[in-house]
Amino acid sequence: MLRLTGSPTERAFSQEIIRMSGQDLLECLQCGKCTGSCPIASKTVTGPRRLIAKILAGMKEEALKDPTWWYCVSCGTCAGRCPVEINMYEVSTALCEMAEAQGVKPSEPHIHLFETLFLDSVKKGGRVRELKAVMAFNIRTMNPFKDMVPGMKLMLRGAVSPKDLMEKEKPDPAVARIFERAEERKGGHGK
Amino acid sequence: MENNREKHSITASYYPGCSLEGTARAYDLSSRAVCWELSIDLQELPKWSCCGSSPALKTDKLLSTALSAHNLNIAGAQPSDDLLIPCPFCFRRLLSAQQEMAEDPELKRSVEETVEGSPEKPVNIHSLLGFIHDRVGLDAVKEKVVRPLAGMRVVPYYGCYLVKPHKTTQYDHPEQPVSLDELLTALGADVVDWDFKTECCGAGLALSKTDTVERLCGRIVKEAKWKRADAIVVACQLCQANLEMRGEKKGNLPVLYFTQLIGLALGLSPESLGMKKHLISPMPMLKAKGFGEKRPKASRVEVGE
Repeated sequence: MLRLTGSPTERAFSQEIIRMSGQDLLECLQCGKCTGSCPIASKTVTGPRRLIAKILAGMKEEALKDPTWWYCVSCGTCAGRCPVEINMYEVSTALCEMAEAQGVKPSEPHIHLFETLFLDSVKKGGRVRELKAVMAFNIRTMNPFKDMVPGMKLMLRGAVSPKDLMEKEKPDPAVARIFERAEERKGGHGK
Repeated sequence: MENNREKHSITASYYPGCSLEGTARAYDLSSRAVCWELSIDLQELPKWSCCGSSPALKTDKLLSTALSAHNLNIAGAQPSDDLLIPCPFCFRRLLSAQQEMAEDPELKRSVEETVEGSPEKPVNIHSLLGFIHDRVGLDAVKEKVVRPLAGMRVVPYYGCYLVKPHKTTQYDHPEQPVSLDELLTALGADVVDWDFKTECCGAGLALSKTDTVERLCGRIVKEAKWKRADAIVVACQLCQANLEMRGEKKGNLPVLYFTQLIGLALGLSPESLGMKKHLISPMPMLKAKGFGEKRPKASRVEVGE
């Protein structure tokens, strides 16, 4: 019932998320299969069902701060089990884009940091340098020795190469341009 | 062997993805070796780039679709109509980008402006597992088995991105997939049925939310051990790394790529398949099962149903 009432700005929020994600959240039955299936739902990460409820109720601030979409790994389990075929990882993207455009502080700074470092690496060399991204993350989170033992073991066994850490990225101009242009467009579209 | 290759050779474009030249070299090595044995000529895409993986998918729809489109444009300029992708995330992302652009002309236009171009031709995107299972076919694989994996108890683990959501991947079944089971059976392995085939390992949260991934992987490894498996067999390098590294504090259950097991059954040495590069070494298990270093006498052995 909530979805039909509320102030115009509240309704505008849910309409915008529905438009951006391409997912018809108005169809949601609140059956809870999604949250029951969700691998990352827990006591503190309340899962997709509640997140949809917040969106439909126009609770914009709460929705943009919900850790669920930060945790979402796009496994697609909820999408397959949802009786009305809502794909929640598309909704996660929409919320993330909106939160960024509106300067909402990430509620999960570690996940945000990892994703940023990952994309920085891609922007720089066209491909992600996994070891470098991992190292940068561990240093930035003040945990430089995390996974050191397995890391060394893997290096000794030739599974990863120390070159991956030392070598400078070879730039890929085509990819750098894609990043630039995607950035420009975001500037143009975002409010 | 050379003659055999020429007769049935298939040429296909190959998109390894970043992990396969980073932390998952064993997957790349064994994929290339096995394709060679199965007469698939892999042509690596020139100047391929990252698909953006989950960070781009989460944060920026246009960027994510554009990075995939960039690689689809490269693939479209190659002679082969088929693109093989071992990494399930890259596989799903490129496939999904292709579908999204076909359905949404406005997105297609923005993406084409962003990547400055469109594909010369659409390519058929396959996961490596799907291609071997469907296109090469189990009979052809079975024919080449010289060293059946008899006595090896394995649990097939599909993970998420290969089969979910079904609407996107259009591959096998999202809850009860069977293609990897069938392939391993064709190799002569003792395939154990279990309920964790598509349970999520926690994927990209490995670093930022390690405790979540340990909780998820712990359950999966525990169940595999309870089933008395000798190894978990995967088709994804992220599942592999998570299960191996986050499944147990001092784990001893090997987590192997399906390509490594195909290679083993085709008579390739464990080392050439990257088996010595694992954090949890499969070598003790392989030796115990009679798959140590020594190559078998190359006589063809019949594999039963």
